[in-house]
Amino acid sequence: MIFEPIDIEISKLSCERDDRLLFKNLSMTLNPGQILRVAGPNGAGKTTLLRTIAGLFDIQTGTIRMNQLPLKECLEQILYIGHKPQVTKDLTVLDNLKFLTGSDDDHLKRALSDVGLKGYHDSLVKELSQGQGRRCALARLWCVKAPIWILDEPYTALDVEMVKTLDTRITWHSAAGGICLFTTHQPPQSLKYTTLELDHVT
Amino acid sequence: MSLERRMLTRELKLNVARPGEIFKPMWFLILVVSMLPLALAPDSDLLSEIGSAMIWVATLLALLLNTEHLFQSDFSDGVLEQWLFLNRPLAWLVGLKLIAHWLFHVLPLILITPIAGIMLSVPTDVLWALLVTLVIATPALTCFSGLGAALTLGSSRSGILGVLVMMPLFVPIVILAAGVLIRAMDGSDTLPLLALLGAFSVVAATVVPIAVSAAIRLNIGGSN
Amino acid sequence: MGWRWFHQWGSPRWFYERAGRWQLVCGRLALTLLITGSLWGLAFAPIDYQQGNSYRIIYLHVPVAFLAQALYAAMAVCAVVLFVWKMKLADVAMQSIAIMGFAFTALSLISGAVWGKPTWGTYWVWDARLTSMLILAFLYLGVIGLRAAIQDPDQAGKACGILVLVGVVNLPIIKYSVEWWNTLHQPASLKLTEKPAMPASMWIPLLINILGYYVAAAYLILGSMRAIVLERERRSAWVRELVSRA
Repeated sequence: MIFEPIDIEISKLSCERDDRLLFKNLSMTLNPGQILRVAGPNGAGKTTLLRTIAGLFDIQTGTIRMNQLPLKECLEQILYIGHKPQVTKDLTVLDNLKFLTGSDDDHLKRALSDVGLKGYHDSLVKELSQGQGRRCALARLWCVKAPIWILDEPYTALDVEMVKTLDTRITWHSAAGGICLFTTHQPPQSLKYTTLELDHVT
Repeated sequence: MSLERRMLTRELKLNVARPGEIFKPMWFLILVVSMLPLALAPDSDLLSEIGSAMIWVATLLALLLNTEHLFQSDFSDGVLEQWLFLNRPLAWLVGLKLIAHWLFHVLPLILITPIAGIMLSVPTDVLWALLVTLVIATPALTCFSGLGAALTLGSSRSGILGVLVMMPLFVPIVILAAGVLIRAMDGSDTLPLLALLGAFSVVAATVVPIAVSAAIRLNIGGSN
Repeated sequence: MGWRWFHQWGSPRWFYERAGRWQLVCGRLALTLLITGSLWGLAFAPIDYQQGNSYRIIYLHVPVAFLAQALYAAMAVCAVVLFVWKMKLADVAMQSIAIMGFAFTALSLISGAVWGKPTWGTYWVWDARLTSMLILAFLYLGVIGLRAAIQDPDQAGKACGILVLVGVVNLPIIKYSVEWWNTLHQPASLKLTEKPAMPASMWIPLLINILGYYVAAAYLILGSMRAIVLERERRSAWVRELVSRA
């Protein structure tokens, strides 16, 4: 599958939180196929930047446009996976994904075997280990058609094998013309990406 | 499957997984009602006179306590923020959640009020009026207490703040419902008041979800 | 000119400096009005032929009760300004008004109770006006409590704004329903009856006092707004400079 060409244009984005300036006059354009790692020390504003681009935080100053359209009109083009589990403990793996993606059972089962959760369809998420729970949340990457991925610390709690699987998935996504933004503290080995370094401005 | 059906299916499955959440408010209601004769007197004339009002207030409290954490678990799991990407207005999704909450949590509560009525020897025709007022008024109550829940989402030490904040707004609903019960007791026409209560519920159900969605958006914007 | 006057309100520093001067003016005016009105009302106005001297509490009770209701409306105006123009000062105003509003509501309830004892022989009756005042106090408390529970001031302000707007829509409904409720049950044996027309020597000092309390409220609100502005802007250069100069 090849995505319609999409780009994100960020201009003069500034953000202040709790009286601290996180970033100032940040401008960049993300083109189809681009993989961008947002790096920086703890508290540099990585999550804030990602959540702002995902439309979860209000933009304080500056603009974000997708294909020339304001961000608010393009939210369904975005897949956002944050720090929080993104899954409900009391539901089964399959029910969780069914609600969030709307895909059919066969599709979801294939996605689940891709992330190594074959045979766990009907397990409740609270019965899974932390890493498996994370895999369940990430399984959405295998069944959603959104061209823009915003992943906050996607590698947390994953084993070596799953890290590789995820790298491969992101590479495919980029090859299909999708955009991926992510943060991590362990730079992935088998992924080609550009880096945006966020430093303390103050 | 449409998003609306997915949403309601999810709520159904969640409630099957957490049956305690449905039974606790009912348990609360019956307990409160049992306390009344113990605190007052087992005199059935006295009880039947204040019984219906007492049941109304107890149901109101049970509903409030039950709705207090309506959005909490979805919020802390990060599922609530995913709603923003679902290609529907947030207020619409909030409305669906409130409808599901009413169906699975409030309706069962209303259905056991006749038992409470029998315990307090409430006359049958007043009992009917009680049931009807509850069915008509609880959508508005659910919406307002949902707003209380949404406003206090981001605060970890809110306790029952949402209940305290919203309770004064229930005054008109309680007064109207009490009016219906009084008229039912002396056998006069209750229809105009019921229509007024219904209008209140309809307006609340259309307007309050917008305020709830604003409050949720606010709390998502403030959390890390 | 144009919109500049409006945007100046967005600058905390500009507000802080001006408000100091306005506060001074308000303080003096309030003091003059209140001394005149209270002295006149308490010492020189004629005795009421029914209630004797106890009626004189209206020179406190009536202005305070007026303010209690007016301040909720003022808070709602601030909430609208906050949402439409994103002006942070409106949130500061909302925060100070909530506390002052609660204080005035409590004062009107207490002064009403003190007045009720000699007039009706009881501190409290479930009269329509008293009941709506009590509910108003709960509404103010809710706004104060909600703000206290949320850490981030911006977020707390917006949450309170939503609550205040929902509250102000409900307020007239509450008022009417409480009045209707009062007629529904057996008519209260004690009623706040319509007073016969007051002679001018009674109502002129009352008018002066009402004005005086309004200006005094403005004085108090400006003062607390200045304090809140200082606290919120504590890390900005101008506040640091101000502190180091002091």
